Formats: sequence, C-alpha cells, structure tokens
Amino acid sequence: MCGSSVAERRRIAVTGVGTVTPIGTGREQFWRSLLAGRCGAGPVESFDTSNFQVHRGAEVKDFRASDYVFELDPGCLGRASQFAIAAARLALEDASLDPIAFDTQQAGVICGTTSGEPQVIEQFDDQYVGGGLDRIGPEFIKQYPCHVIAANVASELGFAGEVNTIPAACAAGNYAIAHAFDLLRSGRANVMLAGGADSFSRITFTGFARLGAIAPDVCRPFDRRRKGMIPGEGAGMLVLEPLDRAMRRGARIYCEVAGYGLSCDAHHMTAAHPEGSGAARAMEAALRQSGVTPDDVDYISAHGTGTPTNDRLETIAVKRVFREAAYRTPISSIKSMLGHTMGAASAIEAVVCALAIFYDHIPPTINLQESDPDCDLDYVPNCAREHRVAVAMNNAYAFGGNNSSLILAAAPTRLQVTVH
Amino acid sequence: MDAEEIRAGIKRIIAKVSGINCAEIADSASYVDDLGLDSLSILEIAVNVEHDFKIKEAQDDELSEIRTIEDTVRFVGRRLCVEVA
Amino acid sequence: MSSLGDSAPRLHRAMCEGKSGLHPLEGFDVERPRCSLGGNLVSFSAESYLKKKNLRPLDRTGQLVAVATQLALEDSGWTTEELGKQDVGLVLGTFFGSVHTISEFDRHAVLAGPSYASPMDFANTVINAAAGQAAIWHGLRGVNSTISAGSTSGLLALGYAVDLIRNGRGTAILAGGADEFCFESFLGFERAGFLCGSDGGTGEFPIPFDRRRNGFALAEAGGLLMLEDADSAVARGAYVRGEIKGYGSAYDCARGRHSERAVEAIERAMRLALVNAELTPGEIDCLSASANGSVLGDRREALAIAHVFDAQSDCVPVTAIKSMIGEALGASGALQALDLLETMRDGVLPGIPLLEQMEDGLRPVVVGPKPRQVDVRTALINSVGFDGNCCSLVLGRFLM
Repeated sequence: MCGSSVAERRRIAVTGVGTVTPIGTGREQFWRSLLAGRCGAGPVESFDTSNFQVHRGAEVKDFRASDYVFELDPGCLGRASQFAIAAARLALEDASLDPIAFDTQQAGVICGTTSGEPQVIEQFDDQYVGGGLDRIGPEFIKQYPCHVIAANVASELGFAGEVNTIPAACAAGNYAIAHAFDLLRSGRANVMLAGGADSFSRITFTGFARLGAIAPDVCRPFDRRRKGMIPGEGAGMLVLEPLDRAMRRGARIYCEVAGYGLSCDAHHMTAAHPEGSGAARAMEAALRQSGVTPDDVDYISAHGTGTPTNDRLETIAVKRVFREAAYRTPISSIKSMLGHTMGAASAIEAVVCALAIFYDHIPPTINLQESDPDCDLDYVPNCAREHRVAVAMNNAYAFGGNNSSLILAAAPTRLQVTVH
Repeated sequence: MDAEEIRAGIKRIIAKVSGINCAEIADSASYVDDLGLDSLSILEIAVNVEHDFKIKEAQDDELSEIRTIEDTVRFVGRRLCVEVA
Repeated sequence: MSSLGDSAPRLHRAMCEGKSGLHPLEGFDVERPRCSLGGNLVSFSAESYLKKKNLRPLDRTGQLVAVATQLALEDSGWTTEELGKQDVGLVLGTFFGSVHTISEFDRHAVLAGPSYASPMDFANTVINAAAGQAAIWHGLRGVNSTISAGSTSGLLALGYAVDLIRNGRGTAILAGGADEFCFESFLGFERAGFLCGSDGGTGEFPIPFDRRRNGFALAEAGGLLMLEDADSAVARGAYVRGEIKGYGSAYDCARGRHSERAVEAIERAMRLALVNAELTPGEIDCLSASANGSVLGDRREALAIAHVFDAQSDCVPVTAIKSMIGEALGASGALQALDLLETMRDGVLPGIPLLEQMEDGLRPVVVGPKPRQVDVRTALINSVGFDGNCCSLVLGRFLM
C-alpha cells in the first residue's frame, strides 16, 4: 500500500495555535491570563443550578460567534462548533496560513469532543418532555451528531481532505492530535487542524454532579483539600504541518510533535486503574516513540482534574514512569484555572505545551495551598515559572479507560530528537 | 412502611442494578466483599434508593458509612422514621 | 450482529437469497410518520451471547458492540488465554454513540431532578462508551479509539485501524462500527425527510438506484472485523479471509448542497482508495455501493462510479446491500466488508431485490434483483454520508 512509505518518518511541526477558553480567547490573551494565574471559575450562568448541590463552572464569557464564523450561518451551529471554528480560524491566522495558498484537498480537520452538541439534544429533550415533539425539525440530525463539529470547521474554512471527529471524551484532544499526526506522517494530508471542543452542558454538569465529582468552590489539583473538578467549556486547535514545508515557507515553528502513546485500562468506565498502570503505559509508549527519556522531559501538563482520586493516581503513574526524575520535573494542571473543558482540555493543554516550549515559561497550578502527602511532586504552585522547556509531555485520561500521552519537543535548532 | 418492606425494596433495586437474584441476596451482605459490586453500581443503587424512597439531599457522611444492605435499611429507616430492628 | 444474522456467512446467505432485514416497525410511534419500515433487531438478546447475568452497565449500543466483539474474537480464533498475553485493540465507528442513553439520562434528570440522575447511564453518555465497555468486558488492552464521520464511520474505522497497525500501534485490532435503532434517531431522520415514504402515501421504496426510490430505511447493527498484521496472523495459524489493500476519504465542503461538489468528493475518495491500494479501476472486480434508496445520494454515487470506472463501468458489477440491511449508519461499512469477504470466498455477489427499473441515465452495471456469480480478487466499498463525508476502501484476496 503506497502512502505509508511516503516521507516515512516525516517530522511534524506545530505552526499555529488557537484557543477559546474561560480565561481568554486567542493566543496572547490566553497566555497572559495563564501566566497571571487567572481563575475562570464562577457561578454557572447558562442554566439554573438551584436544584443542584453545586453551582460553579468555568464558562466562556462574551463569545460572539459572528466574530469568527463568516461562511456558515452561526445560528445553524451548535456552541461547540462555534468554538471549534473560532479556535481553528485563530490557529490558521496564527500560522499565517491562508487557505488560498495551499491545496485544500490535502488539508483536513480532526476534532475531539466529549458531548458533541449537547444543547441541541437538551432542546430536543425539553420538547420531548414538554409534549412538543411536533416542534422538532430537520435541524436535530443536521446539528446534533458529533461529526458535525469537524465538518463545520472544514466547511467554514474550505478544507476538503480528512475530516472527522474523535469523541474520546476527556482525552479527545490528544487522540485527535495523534490521529492528525499519523495522517500527516503517512502523506494522507499536508496540513491538519487538530484539537478539541466542548460546550457547557446541563447533561455533563448533571452527570459529574451526580458522581460527586464537582468542587463546591474552585478546582484545586493536588491540594490536600481538593474536592473535585469545575466543569468548563472551550476549544483548542493546532495547525500541524510537515516540518520541512513549514521551514520552507518561513513559518514560525512552535515545536514538533515528537510522538504519542495511547492505552486502554479495560478496567472501569469512570475510574482509573488503581495502580495507574494504564496511564503509565501511555506515557511509556509516548516516550518510546519520541526517543526521549524521562530525564529529557522538562514539563508535564497534567490531566489534574482536581478530584481526590485522579490526582493521587496520576502522581503514582508519573512516579512509576519517571522514578527519581519525577521529583525534578515540573508538572502543573491548568484545569486549576480553566476548569475541565472536557474534549477541548487536552487540546488546549497541548497548545500550552507548545507555548511553554516556545516561551520557556511554565503555567502554574493555582489554588494550591496545602500539600497532600500523596501528591508530593513539584506542581508549580500558584506562580508561573520561567524554565527552559525543550520537551513537554501532555497527559489526558478519559471515561472508558482511554489514556493518552503526547510529547512535544522544541524545533530542531534547539534539540536533536530522534523520532522513530 | 415497615422494615421488611424497606429491605425488600432495597433488594429489588440491587437485583435491578446487579442482576443478582433477590433470593440470593443475604440481609447481611456487604456490597463490595459479598456482592462484588464496583463503585458505579453502588452509587447507582444509592441513587435508586433515594429516588424510590423519596429521600432528598442525602449527605456524603451518611452515605460513606454504608457498607452492607443492613446499613442501607437503617439509613432509609432513619430518614423515613421507621423502626428497623 | 444484524437483522439478517449474527455471522458473516449467515448475513451473506440471507442476502444472496434476497431476504430483507426490514420490517414494519412496532413501538416507535411518531406523529404522522411517513416511514413505517425499519431494520431494528426485534429479538436481540445480548445475554445469550455474553452469558453474564448482569448486563445493566451496558446500554443497547454497548451490547451490540460487546456481542460483535465476542463473535469476532471467536471467529478469529482468539482465546481468553491469548487475550491475556497480548493486547488486542478496538477502533469503533459510530454515528451517534447512544443518543438514546444521552436523551434518557437528560430527560430523567429534568423530570425527577438532577439528584436522581443515573450514574450508570451517565457513564454511557460519552460517545466512546461502547468501545470502553467492550474493552472492559473482553479484556481488550490494546489501542482503543472511537471515530465519528457520519455514516462513513464504520468504513473509516477500518482504515484508521489499518494505519494504526502499520504504524506499529498494535498487531491485532478489532475494527468496525455500531449504531442502535432508537426513537430519537428515527424521529430525527424522519423529520429531516431522509426516510423512505411520501406524504402522498404512495409507498415506501428504500430501493437503491430504483427510479421509485424515496429514501432509506433506518436499521441497527454492530459489525467488527479482526484486523491483524499479516505476518502475525499467519504465524499464529489464523484463517485469513482477506486483506485491506487501501482506503481513502474526502470531504464535501458544501455538505451535499451542490451536486457537482458532492459527486466530486465521492469520486475523490474512490480514487484515493485505489491509489492507496496501488490499483487501477480496471483491476476492481466488484463494488459494494453505499446507496440506500436516497434520491440524491444514490444518483450522485452512481455518477461518481461512472466517472471513476469510465469505460469499465459497463463491466464492474455494483451491488447495494442496504437494499436488504437498511441504513445501519456506523455499522454499515463493516457489514459491507463482511459481506464482500464472503463474496470473495463463494463467488456470489448479492443482488438488489425489488429493483425493477433503474433511474434513467445511471450508467453503472448494477446487479439487478438477482445475485450474480463473480470471481472477486479485489473489491471496492463505498461509504457516503448525506452531509459531506465520503470514504472508500479496497478489499482483496490474501496472497501469501
């Protein structure tokens, strides 16, 4: 089968990033907020939480779809699609990549998500419950299924190649980036937009609240008093293209995608394996493919949801893989600031890794005041830190036991990595 | 409602969630050790119990003490002000 | 797991006999329905396959996938012992995940209050739930992923899995797709005008390429194929049924609103698959079309086939199994592949029952109502969505 030998081990660069988050939209605003340790948690505004025992979320404020959606009708798009398009446009602009300048049949979109377009189905359910099924029209099938998110981005931007959605829940962003990476390496594409998007959702909020996983105040990853996560929303998109093409066109190169690892716990639908073995396997696979050792990793972007269990198990998994190096490797969770943006989370965190490498600056884990003996690593508490970052690892774990680890590395002038 | 009815109702819920026959569920059975249930199943049972017995706002500390079916029967009895021996 | 049987041979035999898996629907009451036909599994009992007492954690989509996984593992000769020693992966294509579970969870929470929302149902509201459940039930510790590209999801999952194996992400991966039949999806497609039937009550004709066709009939199924690195498969003495030689996918940015662009995207996916397989159109012995009775969809696919096969389109027999199996969304590509593997083995290509007269001007040699003898060394499968996604995959005989 031809294609797999094409540029067999093409190196893949990140040349643009775009984000829509509860603490800022667009690279500059977002990065500034991150380094300043801004917290995006607040009272939930998009629906009435008076019947719940928790009331806090991290919603994106002041988002106007019409600022980013020009070809499609924003009114026909769900919120997750609007976020995805905005992040994609911002990433393309950031990459100085004009769709006129490249073959759009070789350009694709892979988007991760947890819920798809939940507000569409919530509306359907409201009508169902209210006896108004006759009001349901053709929009349900056209706007709800999760594949529309990647499709909407592709239609808006005119990308006609590989277009699909990877709904791998809270690890979806990493899975999408991994898939785009493979498509580029095998020659099935020359430009990929990869990332994730999710909108705030009554369904998601209800579910996590029912599991007792939502914090009453803020998200405090790794803190002894942590009580859970803060549900959020947003989107993160990266422009990926072959390194040689990026260099030829004089693109700014944030970093390379060095490799990834995926694993499946096959253990429990909502809880991680108690020994963190699945997470460890994903990290080991990523390190192997990237040709880097734990000592080479300068920063880990943690899954760090702020639940008592995740943070403890994640720490165990990191120690399993990194051993002594675990204590020397800064690891922070931006969910302390953004909340858990679900399918967007690991994509936004990948953006953060790219920026950390580019700027040699690590964002903090905020709200961390009391240390937990089970979580005794360097979580970059409360203050961002200037730190040389040549290699960053991005970890994300999802319902269904889907684990992922993505490794980004500084562009060639700064580091020689052997990509297998 | 008396203790027997509460016990029977709880066992019905356990049967629905776990597939274990009511007849095979001992009154003294513990959820994890005897019935082999995972955390999601146990939580599902708890939510169903709260729903079926119309219990509102069960607190974390009430629920975290529950290990066996008898614990659940006592919890429901307390909330419904029913004597359970 | 389909309305025409729980194995590839059974499915294939039923279709070669012209049997239909579509029947009058019961219990899906929609106001003023135009469509009364569907391909739901009326007597599906996951217990009889999975043999475990408690299936509560699984929703219907989860059951379809868990059962298909079991059947595929048995069929490919993987024992529990071998599963313990080696990591087998799962890549699942799905259109909805389970929209029914998501909707039920939400409705229950709205009506009873959020404190009574079901934790077990919540676990199944994520679209990758079925793949995660199957992994737990069968101990699949290899790479596990879910992919959604509309109704092309199942075929695309096969391609995704092939690439993962070629990239060294695993030597054995189950791949395919599943979607359940439920009120929510039925209503959704009905309201969008995709289902067969007419306001004038002239009848339901989910017959691919037929001039009377007026939409598709929704169905449900789960279909998985065990894909393995060829050397590993041979080394373990597996019975190899065929080889995936290549695939291609393309997207129509106009999402089906402009005929020419829709045809172009379908054509492009087919050409990409052929190039990827290093084959010319002349080397393809038969084609399994995505056509399902859609007025626009079938016509556009026929045009694309004619463009690609050009002079040969008088020679390449084209079948459309959705005439019998209905539109099983995420599962359809997998079912098409399973059926073609049987055709490669027994030389019989299913016909399109009830096809009486092709629409004027459609060129491909569609098989006609009766099955046809064809010696198949390589075959092309198409999967075309109504809103832009197109995928094609080449299957071939396995030669050592």
